[in-house]
Amino acid sequence: VLVLVRSPLPRLRALLHRCWGRLERGLWPAVFGGQSPPWGPALAVQGPALVPQGISVAGTPSLPESVVWMAAPKQRRTIEVNRCRRRNHSKLVEIKRNIDVCPECGNLKQKHVLCGHCYAKVKEETRLIRMEIYKKEGGPFNAPTVETVVLYEGEKPTEKDEGRRIIERARKRPSWFVQN
Amino acid sequence: MRLSVAAAISHGRVYRRLGLSPRSRLDLLRNLVTALVRHERIETPWARADEMRGYAERLIDYAKRGDKDERAMRMADFWLTEKDLIHKLFKVLAPRFQPHAGSYTRLLQIPNRDGLDRAKMAVIELKGNPLPPLVRPRRDSDRTLLNQLLKGYRQDAQRARGT
Repeated sequence: VLVLVRSPLPRLRALLHRCWGRLERGLWPAVFGGQSPPWGPALAVQGPALVPQGISVAGTPSLPESVVWMAAPKQRRTIEVNRCRRRNHSKLVEIKRNIDVCPECGNLKQKHVLCGHCYAKVKEETRLIRMEIYKKEGGPFNAPTVETVVLYEGEKPTEKDEGRRIIERARKRPSWFVQN
Repeated sequence: MRLSVAAAISHGRVYRRLGLSPRSRLDLLRNLVTALVRHERIETPWARADEMRGYAERLIDYAKRGDKDERAMRMADFWLTEKDLIHKLFKVLAPRFQPHAGSYTRLLQIPNRDGLDRAKMAVIELKGNPLPPLVRPRRDSDRTLLNQLLKGYRQDAQRARGT
């Protein structure tokens, strides 16, 4: 069976010629919305520059031969357009919905994070306990080989604290440090 | 079928990249493990604490084998840079965690660091330490509907048993 295949290239080229002509003359309103095309004269050739007819006027400064034009904005962006871009939802700070009230002290805390106030309290008490430990050990690298227990004023070691090293703290036991 | 790895894809990689080099990463983690065994509660960036947690728990698992075990002693010797802590590990921590099957550490997040970097910080501690507790276990309030209903049911059951 003989199949006749028309080469699509001449038709495509003619179509492209027509579309380009219409674009250049501004007769294609759908593309640029009724304004002139936003591109200016393009000159991006190296070697002998091929200057089109409308450009070679005596007043223009002479350009060096191998020049490449860069993209630059044609029109000033209005403040409305700028606001739309700057205040787009993706650029705003996300609001946090995971903030709660700490039941112990009433400060605000994030749900998955420890309360800052309560942690500062515990950290201070830990620091004082560690100072007592350091005084008892006397020097660096003297880690004991028995467990440790912290006793406050007026507390006696129970039978559970038999073989443990005792660290004394000279204050009343805080309510949040339960002895067990 | 892709046989090579393209740059900047890290699917399935479990180990984070810390410090200046892999050797530096191990040294960093080793210092953190030593500090944890010494002080039993430390505050560091969350990524380092998370990375260090696995190594610390495996070290305790090795210590549970006993100090006569050659591999356990070599592991403790590598991971603890201060050698008096090897005694503490085998004589204090191993008996403390003998009844537990795993999860000897607790990792909790803390408000971001105060400095310029606002790093995500965490506190990691060994369970059963003598220091004050970080989080108080909270019982549900008695005023909730479910608890009131359960309380009523308990009282009815008691009355029925009494009479």
